[in-house]
Amino acid sequence: MSALAGNLWLAVLLGWAVWGVLSLGLSAPWSIVAGLAVGAVCAFGLRETLALRGIVAVLGPIGVVIPLLALRQMAGVLGVPVQPFGTVELLVFLAAYLVFLAAAMGALPAEIYRLGYAPLWVAGIVLAICAYGLWQGSIFLPALAVSAQLLWVLGWGSSNYFDHILHVGLIPAVLIVLVARVF
Amino acid sequence: MGFVQVFILAAMAVSVGLSAWAIRRDAPLEWRFAPAPFVDLERAAEFTTVLDYTAPTGQAHSPAIDLSGPLPRVIWFEGSEEAKADVDIFASDLTESDGWLSSAPQRVLTRGGLTESFASTELVVTLGNTIEDEGRGGLYATVVSVGGWAMASVAEMHEGAARKLNLSPLLNRSFLVKSPMVAYAGGTWGLPAYFEMGSAYGALVRFGQDGRVRDMRRIPGPQKGIQPMIVPLDATRAVAILRDFDSGAGRLLISRTMDGGQSWTVMEDAGVANPSAPVAALNLGDGRILMVVNDDAGNGGVLRLTLSGDGGESWDVLHTLEEGGEDARYPMMRILEDGRIMLTYSVGAKGGIRAHVFSARWAVGT
Repeated sequence: MSALAGNLWLAVLLGWAVWGVLSLGLSAPWSIVAGLAVGAVCAFGLRETLALRGIVAVLGPIGVVIPLLALRQMAGVLGVPVQPFGTVELLVFLAAYLVFLAAAMGALPAEIYRLGYAPLWVAGIVLAICAYGLWQGSIFLPALAVSAQLLWVLGWGSSNYFDHILHVGLIPAVLIVLVARVF
Repeated sequence: MGFVQVFILAAMAVSVGLSAWAIRRDAPLEWRFAPAPFVDLERAAEFTTVLDYTAPTGQAHSPAIDLSGPLPRVIWFEGSEEAKADVDIFASDLTESDGWLSSAPQRVLTRGGLTESFASTELVVTLGNTIEDEGRGGLYATVVSVGGWAMASVAEMHEGAARKLNLSPLLNRSFLVKSPMVAYAGGTWGLPAYFEMGSAYGALVRFGQDGRVRDMRRIPGPQKGIQPMIVPLDATRAVAILRDFDSGAGRLLISRTMDGGQSWTVMEDAGVANPSAPVAALNLGDGRILMVVNDDAGNGGVLRLTLSGDGGESWDVLHTLEEGGEDARYPMMRILEDGRIMLTYSVGAKGGIRAHVFSARWAVGT
């Protein structure tokens, strides 16, 4: 099942990328439908090609956050109400995430990443994220936190919870959003 | 109360249920080391070279000892050059009858085979340091899919199935293995590993009952201590001897634990010269530590067998194993079932593999 979940996430990611290209000349919802269709064909039909094996090796573990963000963006284009992240929210996240990565690289004397192996810590982290979502009135973060916890508990994908809710690809994504808001 | 609030409260209720499940099935880790394996201190002095292999072309390096099968086996990586896309894992089985015989080296783990073995197949470009998974009987291999060693991951290979250990949030990159595992009471194991990107550091990885990574404890310090060789001294005390990845340092590093590896002292100078090369070490069973080390900071061709009777505070040279040739590095020592010691390392500046079997009496001389 871990492999199936991985292929599903890959299909969403590829579909999102293809949609990005198609949307230059094709309007929604056709660009989204076509993008996801191409993503699914690639993820399940061309999975054993060198290119896709390479993508999985380079980007994995993919986790939940990137595919959910991709689905969220596509849902927004289709008219589903999506609450955007605040600029301050994104800046605080970016700073905290960079500290987290710096600690994992040994640049800071803190071992935050290892808390993601421990069920008690993970329980607290998930509830804290849900509480934040409740305060902000946002469904996305609680949905992300709990779906990631489900996969983590089932043993699908990484044995570290942080790998399910974070991905280094978030850094360029957040930076692009912030820069776009400036200009 | 609106839909959003109801949805989030329901999600929190689901989370509490998932947490209860996860916490209930989680077994606390055992942090007491297992007793040291039996070393026959009474056996007559003996020393035999059991493998002397020269790679026909290219490089053969970083040998390890695999004792999981009926015969002791030396495994190493070999290809045109370290980190190139033609490197596979080779092995030679060792048999003792009237004397020692070594089988012709054969491929036991290939890049293509490992690629196919992942549940979700992923590209493996090259292979590096590979050691025995002493807990489950497979292998831990250092694998690279893109870039160099700083982009490596550790793959577990067990009964034909492979998966990567989840050790880093940086795309699971930059962790490698080199030294043998550490046995804990109750039959669980710890894996010495190291992070090689930027501020490099050593770490002890622990596994849960399902064989997945359950914890990791860092060996702290401002130096770049990698390739930790962890030697338990009793149930709770151990030393970790590390290579300083800063090649200009010229010294080995040492750290200690008093709580079974849960916490480690800040690394300090071990008082031994070293050309930024890993060591092999083991507990002789009576608290003395036997260590194979390159102890000439300017010459990786000097390899010596040394002994510490004070828990790693000081070291006495027992034998010079290699001197005057090209680099002889990356030693590994393991204790055989009959209480003798097997040692292997690469020779000829990664040009071949040498292995010896010797008794403790030969080593310490009494």
